[in-house]
Formats: sequence, structure tokens, C-alpha cells
Amino acid sequence: MKLSIYRFNPETDDRPRMQAYEIEPEAGDKKLLDVLMRLRTVDDSLSFRRSCREGVCGSDAMNINGRNGLACLTALAGLKEPVVLRPLPGFPVIRDLIVDMTQFFAHYHAIKPYLINDGPPPEREHLQTPEQRARLDGLYECILCACCSAFCPSYWWNPDKFIGPSGLLQAYRFIADSRDTATAERLDYLDDVYRLYRCRTIMNCTEVCPKGLSPSHAIERIRLALLQRSS
Amino acid sequence: MRLFRGQRAWLVQRISALLVLALLAAGGLALLLGPPLDHARWHALATGVHGGPLIMLLFAALCAHAWVGMRDIVLDYVQPRALRLSVLTLVALVLFAVLVRVLLTLAAHFAPPG
Amino acid sequence: MAKPGDARPVFLDLFRIRFPIGAIASILHRASGVLLFLALPPLALGLEMSLRGEAQFEALRSLLPAPWRIVIGTILAWAATHHLLAGIRHLLMDVGVGSALGTARASARAVLAIALLAALFAAWRGLS
Ligand code: HEM
Repeated sequence: MKLSIYRFNPETDDRPRMQAYEIEPEAGDKKLLDVLMRLRTVDDSLSFRRSCREGVCGSDAMNINGRNGLACLTALAGLKEPVVLRPLPGFPVIRDLIVDMTQFFAHYHAIKPYLINDGPPPEREHLQTPEQRARLDGLYECILCACCSAFCPSYWWNPDKFIGPSGLLQAYRFIADSRDTATAERLDYLDDVYRLYRCRTIMNCTEVCPKGLSPSHAIERIRLALLQRSS
Repeated sequence: MRLFRGQRAWLVQRISALLVLALLAAGGLALLLGPPLDHARWHALATGVHGGPLIMLLFAALCAHAWVGMRDIVLDYVQPRALRLSVLTLVALVLFAVLVRVLLTLAAHFAPPG
Repeated sequence: MAKPGDARPVFLDLFRIRFPIGAIASILHRASGVLLFLALPPLALGLEMSLRGEAQFEALRSLLPAPWRIVIGTILAWAATHHLLAGIRHLLMDVGVGSALGTARASARAVLAIALLAALFAAWRGLS
């Protein structure tokens, strides 16, 4: 199998380059990550993040043949060769396929990704009806891999000001939560030319989400919630 | 730079788009129903009690719509502050000139019956 | 500290990114919006001319020499059709109609195709 991988070592390189690799996958290799791990036994300077190797930790997001995805969920079968691997678009490269996610997580923290409830604490727990709980489906599963935000043109142009699809999906996860009482403040924070309204409904986010979630749908619901509030 | 709050601009763009859509549909229908368009019929339509104000409304909606749209594009691609301000000013001037031109034209020819 | 590579590179080579169909429809919505914006001043002047008199009204049709008339007419027919249809698509998706990925892909394809047909039709009309 032929691969072409983006290489950049800040200690020795002025600029990134593409390196060609050729390696035979073995019988047990099913996913792209398997081949990457095997490559590392040949070239231990090749750097990428990985941890759970099963689409839960969200570490091994990268641009695979021009589209963002998780190496551990990308099947080898059907990959066009040479497989071209690059770091997530628009994110500063630390080394090879490892990008700096500081800004991405700053947006995540800014939307207050935790339940806020200023009512009296319940005796045991905040109960939800099955319907209320169902509203969180398609939202809580986000693993913050950044495939979506790094595939969003609006995020490329304004990464410092636009929250991006991932952060907005997370924001809606708490707006939609019946136990959260900070909906008004959350919406106030989002009603901004940059934070929410850079989204042009391109839907690149939904196209590449490795968990099959739809950030564009969450954004649509936030806009409608804002609309409902002001009418 | 806050030329608009987020939601307001977004709403202006949707409402103006709907307005343009409705006016274009109505105008298209008015032109299609009836004899082929010649100068006399066009003049009567565009300077009448309904036609004149509706054309003005159409251009007002178009300009509001184009302003938000062009502003969005500038906010994405033109990051240096001074350049951004210049481009936005230019866009605003063009749209303002279009509005004035259309208003003067329609006012000069406005001829409600009676 | 480190000498080379103090600045972190960013991979953002748009020609090496595979854009989904919705992204193509979207960037063309933007491009067509700019074209329509550029068409607004001539449109206002055309309105003025069309009302000034019979002769000017008739002259509007042949204001531009033939090749330009056809080229500009075709481009504007494409821009107007694409922008209008993509705009309607957006307005519907804003209220949740057709905003699921499968439908959105199909409607993006339809918009691209119909706008192309409109351009071909305009070119054919101009040539014949
Ligand atoms: C001369 C007429 C028009 C001009 C100059 C114009 C211009 C623009 C511009 C520059 C944009 C920004 C595009 C972007 O941000 O990517 C835009 C967006 C938009 N236009 Fe128009 N437009 C016109 C007519 C229309 C019509 C007739 C409709 C009706 C369907 C429409 C619907 C929309 C919508 C819904 C958007 C927002 C899309 C988004 O948020 O991404 N436009 N327009």
C-alpha cells in the first residue's frame, strides 16, 4: 500500500514536505490506523495522536485523501492510493499530523459545556422524561475530534471568533437539556455576528462527522431558538 | 466591529430575500399576463400608483439584502481593519447610489392617474 | 529556542481538499451573489434609460456589442438562477425543510444542474 504523508519537524524543517511510504498491510490490519502503527515500526519519527483506536477518544483526526476523518474508523478497503494524509486543515501544525487544538478547546470552554442549574438542588437527582432525554440524542455523542470544525470554511476564515460547528453542537446540547436553566444566557452569548452567524449552512461539518452527528442541524435549532425568543 | 447584531442581520437577509422573491414573482406575473412588453406598457407599469412604489420597494429590499451579503463576505475574507473598512464603505456607497438613482428616476416619472 | 520552524505551518491548500457537493453549491451562491451585486448599478441605470423614452427603451436591447451581450447575458442568467434557487434552498433549510444530509445533497445537485441549464438556454437564445 502506498501512502503520502505530510511531514514537518519544527526542529529541523523550515517548511512541511510530503513523504512517500510503501508498506504491506498484514492480515489483521483493517483500519488506516493499523497501517499507521505499522509504519511507525519502520519510521519511528512519524508523529500522530492516537489513543483508544476505536472512535471514542477522537485523537486521530486527520485529513485523509482530502476529507477529514478518524484514522481508526477509516477502512483500508476502498481507500484510493496513494493514501494522502495531512493534518487537520486550518489548524497550526505542531509536528507531522499533530495539530494545535488550543483555540478549538477555548471555544469549547467558552460555551460552558456543563449543566447550569440555579434551582434548589433536588433531593436525589434531576429527573428527565424519556422525551426530554431523547432530545440529547445526536448531541451528547460528540467526541471533540475537530473533524467538523477543521472542515468548515467559516471556521478557516475566522477561527478566533467563530465558535465552529463542534462548539455550537456542544452549546446546543446544553440548550436542549431540560435540566439546564441558563438557556437565556447561552443564547445571549451566541447571538453574535461571529460566534454563531458566520455559519453559512455549507454542511461540511455534517458531511465529515465520524460519529454521524449533524452540527448543522444543531446550528439550525439554535437560530430558531433565537428567533422564537425574539418574537 | 459591530455593524449589526448577529441575529438582526441574519433576519434582514431572510426577510429581504422573501420580499425580493415575492416582488419578482408578482412582477414576472404582471409582465407575462398581457400583451408583449413594449415601451408604452412598461412605462405605464413602472410609473403607476402600484408599479412605482413596488419597484422602489424591490430595490430597497435588494440593497438591504446585498449589504448584509457583501458584509458577510468581507467579514470572512478581508481581515486587515483598514482595508475591511474601505471595502465596506465602497459597498455601502454603491448601494446608496443605486437607491438614489432609482428613487430619482421613479420620482421623475411618477404619474398616478388624476 | 528552536531556530527553524518558529512559525507553525497551517495546511489549508483548498485544491487538495475534497469538497462535498453542498460546499460547491455554497461557494457558487457566494460568487453569484457578488455578480448580482455588481449588476445592480447597471440595472439602476437601465431602469432610468427604459423610462426616458421609446428610443432609449429599444436601444437597451443592443446596448452592448453582440459577443459581450451574449457572454454577460449568459453569466448573469447563470448567476441569477443559481443564487435564486440556492437562496430558496437556504430559506427552506433554515426552517428545517430538506436540511437532512441526504436531501441537502440532492437539492444542491439540483440547484447546480438547473442553473447550468439556465446558462445554456441563455447562451442558445443569445446565439440564435
Ligand atoms: C440582485 C439580487 C441579489 C443580490 C445582489 C444578492 C446578493 C447576495 C450576497 C452577496 C449574499 C452573500 C452570500 C454569502 O454570504 O455567501 C447573498 C446571500 C443570500 N441570498 Fe442573495 N442576492 C440577491 C438576490 C437574492 C434572491 C432573489 C434571493 C431569494 C431566494 C436571495 C437569497 C439569499 C439568501 C437566502 C442568502 C443567505 C445565504 C447564506 O446565509 O449563506 N438572494 N445574497
